[in-house]
Amino acid sequence: MAIAPEVRPAGTREQPAAINLVDTDVHNYIGGSRVLLEYLPERWIHYLEHTGFDSPPRDFYPRYYQHAARRDSFPPSGIPGSDPQFAAEQLLDGYGIDIGILNCLYPAYKLFNIDMANALIRAANDWQIDKWLDADPRWRASILVNARDPQFSAEEIRRCARHPGYVQVLMLARNHAPLGKREFWPIYEAAQDCGLPIGVHFGGGHDVPITSSGWPSYYIEDHTGMAQSFQSQVLSLVCEGVFVEYPKTKVVLIEGGFAWMPPLMWRLDKNWKGLRGEVPWLTKPPSDYIREHIRCSTQPMEEPDDPRHLAQIIDMIGTDEFLLFATDYPHWDFDSPERALPSVIGDDLREKIFSKNALKIYDFARG
Amino acid sequence: MNGRGIAVVRNDNAVYAVRDTCPHQGAKLTLGTLTGEPVYCGPGNIEFRRFGQVLKCPWHGWDYSLADGTAIGGNRTTRIRAYRARIENGRVLVETD
Repeated sequence: MAIAPEVRPAGTREQPAAINLVDTDVHNYIGGSRVLLEYLPERWIHYLEHTGFDSPPRDFYPRYYQHAARRDSFPPSGIPGSDPQFAAEQLLDGYGIDIGILNCLYPAYKLFNIDMANALIRAANDWQIDKWLDADPRWRASILVNARDPQFSAEEIRRCARHPGYVQVLMLARNHAPLGKREFWPIYEAAQDCGLPIGVHFGGGHDVPITSSGWPSYYIEDHTGMAQSFQSQVLSLVCEGVFVEYPKTKVVLIEGGFAWMPPLMWRLDKNWKGLRGEVPWLTKPPSDYIREHIRCSTQPMEEPDDPRHLAQIIDMIGTDEFLLFATDYPHWDFDSPERALPSVIGDDLREKIFSKNALKIYDFARG
Repeated sequence: MNGRGIAVVRNDNAVYAVRDTCPHQGAKLTLGTLTGEPVYCGPGNIEFRRFGQVLKCPWHGWDYSLADGTAIGGNRTTRIRAYRARIENGRVLVETD
């Protein structure tokens, strides 16, 4: 099937009558690049068949379980996250989730051939519409982009945004450069024009270590240390002035934790008092921009021995609109809606985390 | 059994019975894996012991001793209920109280 220059609009996507539970991080997987053949132009079909190319490279770390997945998330055939119906039954039906936002971590952006990467990314976006968004009205999805080609990414955002199932643009925490830099601004301009938030998800490029001093040895370091990348991206997005230039931009940090946010805010505000002349476009304390423009998903939920400390940290962030619930299905570090939030989180805040905060960020009835 | 899910594990001639729910986030332990305990014996030297006596949660991978339900490896805050179990005349008997 030849690739469509424009995504087929599917009319207005209605919201369910009541949205009480939104899962802001669900992963759908492309079993292999051959799945995408029907969405690729002839040139790339021929290239993939000729080279026997299967999938872009993933990780250097074995990720605990096969496919980093819950052991009960394997569908009758295929890999976890590859079967829309199985995922809908196990996750959406199983936990009463009204809306699930798909973040497809197809790593085509890692390819050095930028035209091939872009073709695969565009095909993946069309595959998502065909196999997932059109399969169940509870699914929403994030638009895959290629941060190494912001101009292509902006065009892809505008193309895909015509489908009401797309509610977010997906970028990655371990990007090849800090996300606030001007080279990425076409992405933020397109997202703002289309009314879409930017999701920044755990993970990223194979050519960029997670630390500033090289590669750690173990997955536990990679998994825990991803907060370093998120912190760098928050600093960059704020200090480079993305939220000044694109004031409607919202950024959702996905799967990076959030307990590190208060001390980052304190340190940044303190330094801004003396160093603000370097970034004069920041006309208010940087933490104000963070509270206004940035949100965090909850999974993997921080689990201090004393859960009251968690409530204190949420209070220190300074807004009860900051957290959005996520399960990370089908991954092994899945957070259950029934167990993830400790009882110290009261009903009002619980309701905001489970749905109300997401409803302020995402337009689930885009037309 | 009496409204409680119980995971019964047989390994050669040994039989174990524990609650089928991980107290962390509620995963069914019967979907987990039977494993052992890696023990650090110096740099580059890790021995794998107690194979078949440790049950690993299918979600977050918390490990429990099948013998007494205690969590393995310094996890101080969690344990699962373990029940006495034995094989008699080809039947598995579990004492729930």
